[in-house]
Amino acid sequence: MQEATAQPGSSPDLEPRVYKTSSELKKRLWRNKLLYVMLIPGVLYFLVFKYIPMYGMIIAFQDYKPYQGITGSDWVGMKHFSRLFTEPDFLNILMNTLILFGMNILIYFPIPIILALMLNEMRGNLFKRLFQTLFYLPHFMSWVIVVSISFVMVTMDGGIINELLAYFGFEKINFLLAPGWFRPMYILQVIWREAGWGTIIYLASIAAIDPGLYEAARMDGAGRLRQVWHITLPAIRGVIITLFILKIGSVLDLGFEHVYLLLNSMNREVAEIIDTYVYTAGLRQGQFSYSTAIGFFKSIVGLIMVVSVNKVSKKMGEEGVY
Amino acid sequence: MKKKSFTMLLTALLTFSAMLSGCGNSNNEAAADPTTAPATGENTTKAAETEAPSEKPTEIKIMLPLNTTETPPDTIKAEVEKLTNTKLTYQFFPADTYEEKLNSSFATGSLPQVTYLKNQTTFIQMKEAIKDGQFWEIGPLLSEFPNLNKLKPEILNNTKVDGKLYSLYIGRPLARQGIIYRKDWADKLGLQPPANTDELLAMAKAFTEQDPDGNGKKDTTGIVDRNELTYGAFKTVSSWFGTPNTWGEVDGKLAPEFTFQQYTDTMDFFKKIREGGYMNQDFAATSKTDAVNMFTSGKAGLYIGGSMQDIDTLNKDLIKNFPDAVLDTHSMVADKDGKFAQWMIPGYNNVVLFPKTSVKDEAELKKILTFFDKMMTPEVANLMYWGIEGTHYTVEDGKAKPTDDKELIEREVKGYKDSVIGEAETNGMYLSLNVLPGRIHAEELVLENVKVGVPDPTAALDSTTYTEKGVELQQIITDATYKYIYGQIDKAGFDKEVETWKSRGGAQIIEEYNAVYKK
Repeated sequence: MQEATAQPGSSPDLEPRVYKTSSELKKRLWRNKLLYVMLIPGVLYFLVFKYIPMYGMIIAFQDYKPYQGITGSDWVGMKHFSRLFTEPDFLNILMNTLILFGMNILIYFPIPIILALMLNEMRGNLFKRLFQTLFYLPHFMSWVIVVSISFVMVTMDGGIINELLAYFGFEKINFLLAPGWFRPMYILQVIWREAGWGTIIYLASIAAIDPGLYEAARMDGAGRLRQVWHITLPAIRGVIITLFILKIGSVLDLGFEHVYLLLNSMNREVAEIIDTYVYTAGLRQGQFSYSTAIGFFKSIVGLIMVVSVNKVSKKMGEEGVY
Repeated sequence: MKKKSFTMLLTALLTFSAMLSGCGNSNNEAAADPTTAPATGENTTKAAETEAPSEKPTEIKIMLPLNTTETPPDTIKAEVEKLTNTKLTYQFFPADTYEEKLNSSFATGSLPQVTYLKNQTTFIQMKEAIKDGQFWEIGPLLSEFPNLNKLKPEILNNTKVDGKLYSLYIGRPLARQGIIYRKDWADKLGLQPPANTDELLAMAKAFTEQDPDGNGKKDTTGIVDRNELTYGAFKTVSSWFGTPNTWGEVDGKLAPEFTFQQYTDTMDFFKKIREGGYMNQDFAATSKTDAVNMFTSGKAGLYIGGSMQDIDTLNKDLIKNFPDAVLDTHSMVADKDGKFAQWMIPGYNNVVLFPKTSVKDEAELKKILTFFDKMMTPEVANLMYWGIEGTHYTVEDGKAKPTDDKELIEREVKGYKDSVIGEAETNGMYLSLNVLPGRIHAEELVLENVKVGVPDPTAALDSTTYTEKGVELQQIITDATYKYIYGQIDKAGFDKEVETWKSRGGAQIIEEYNAVYKK
């Protein structure tokens, strides 16, 4: 985020002004006092909930013992990081995480955009609203419920999908335990639960497009697809890129709960990701320093990804997130 | 000039943030953990410091797992406070996520004066911290409290860390495991409760193939199991095969259970059952809720593991669906040589610890122990375990009969029930009046089980490597066991996994246990 202060001038209003005397600054501060007061809650929020907790990250370099606290615990340098990188399963876990993340980007990410475009083309406000609501309702179900529903549907013991397969003379498929089915199940559940919710921002930005543009395009004889391609999509490009960059930031952060619920002894080789590993190896055994080190590693990877993707997008003439 | 004004701004910001962090610090104690219930921490310590020897009630904050969905109202608490002259603040947290709550509170130093753990596993994980001196040792004080002094020495011994006692225990019968099965199905097919493991297999097979529910469809199965080796069916059946309890002795040395032939025999048994379709095919991915649902919806006939005392709740839900269903319990299943065995837990379900971070001195500790001493009188124990007489239970034949309004008990009593120290023999509370024949049978079997009970020889032993990596390592064995049962690896593959277990720290665990075992 330092980049922001290092590159002033993106907008003329934000350019720092130069004051001749300190009294002039004081006067100005006083004149805008209400604005500064309004700033306080925001600053407080970030200080208390984002910056002060960062102090705790230093336990990643210690053998942290809660009773002795941060000041009393022994420093061990990079011990926990080297333990992570030399863990025999580490490469496998990292790969699993990256593959799931890749599926999120390649398969899940475009779906809300397509859905939003489709919803936007729907005639009749009532239907549009109805479908939109239906699409985003699953978002309010917890992962436990989503996973339980799928369990009931795909279990070998009377699950409807396996019953149908058997009825049509196919072999039953062990969806829950077969390592090959873990990833498809995962991404399908993500799509089912999140796709509708993801359309909200896109729909909002589509709503902001000047209807005059469409009218003009129609006058010029553009069909519906042409309008989508030449007006709607370019108009929401900025939003798409912003959301994409934010998504990239969570590269190693896939959400623990969902994967943990799907994980079992039979599919561990493809399903164990960094988050679930932190849980079993770190938290369940009370190894705070080790867990923190892994969290640290995740954040750094996320930061690098965001900064580099942002750079690339700016090179390509887009706005970026900062 | 530009530089100067910038410095000014920076100074202003710094002063501002210093002020903020100042505020932050003074509030630290209260703000350290925003998720805990209303912070009365400061009041409590103040009260303890300034308290005169008068009858001012002792203020105690208690954190414990909650096995129901709602936090109980103060009905029971108010009565307990009156009887024990205390002012209690209960912090209930859902049992499902209690481990995380426990660990995070511990890491931030915000454990309350009285901290219940969740089970033996969380206790083992806490051992390192206990050895570190983060909790009060209570062993030497126990003799000052007449009621606490009644706690069973052999069970206290199982909860010692490095030979010292730090905790009070919540007692549980030593061996409650067994079978809960559909007696109506067995009667219809002319089957006796299984006397040995072969008959168990035969029963599972018959329940699957001979249409015990008589609907003309092949839609039933034998055993219903879940993704849990210890409290599911596996360990119980394994002990019937003669596998030692977690660790066993070979030539005077301790070895883990999965290196024994009987463990492999058990895996073969389950492999046969699964391949034959005599159990739920997805058991490695089945949660307890799903397993219980399968049983109570009449799809399966044998529920093994957990506790035979669960028959009450299973029965309640089953007869909603099948009013004619009859359940019974059974536990004496012999191995192929005709010998009986049953693994035992160390006699406690959970323990309670007193963190030094919140209990400031021995005087305060003694006040808290006084509360627990009173909790072990029949009066308070009954109140917390059974509720208020006349409202939640009535007494018949000197036994407690809970009211039919199960929801009321669930809501108002259950939260406190799981926190009662000791067991009926030591705290003098009423035994339960059972009406369900299967449950009465279960109570008899629990006593029978102990006679052939196999204890875990490592229950009171310590291994640093186990505390550090045990859970992670056990995962290797658990995965391998399931893979073997599912036929994905053979015996050689399983042995290879055991070698992996050894090379990643298992060998050290064996060494460490044997070093203390010899003594």
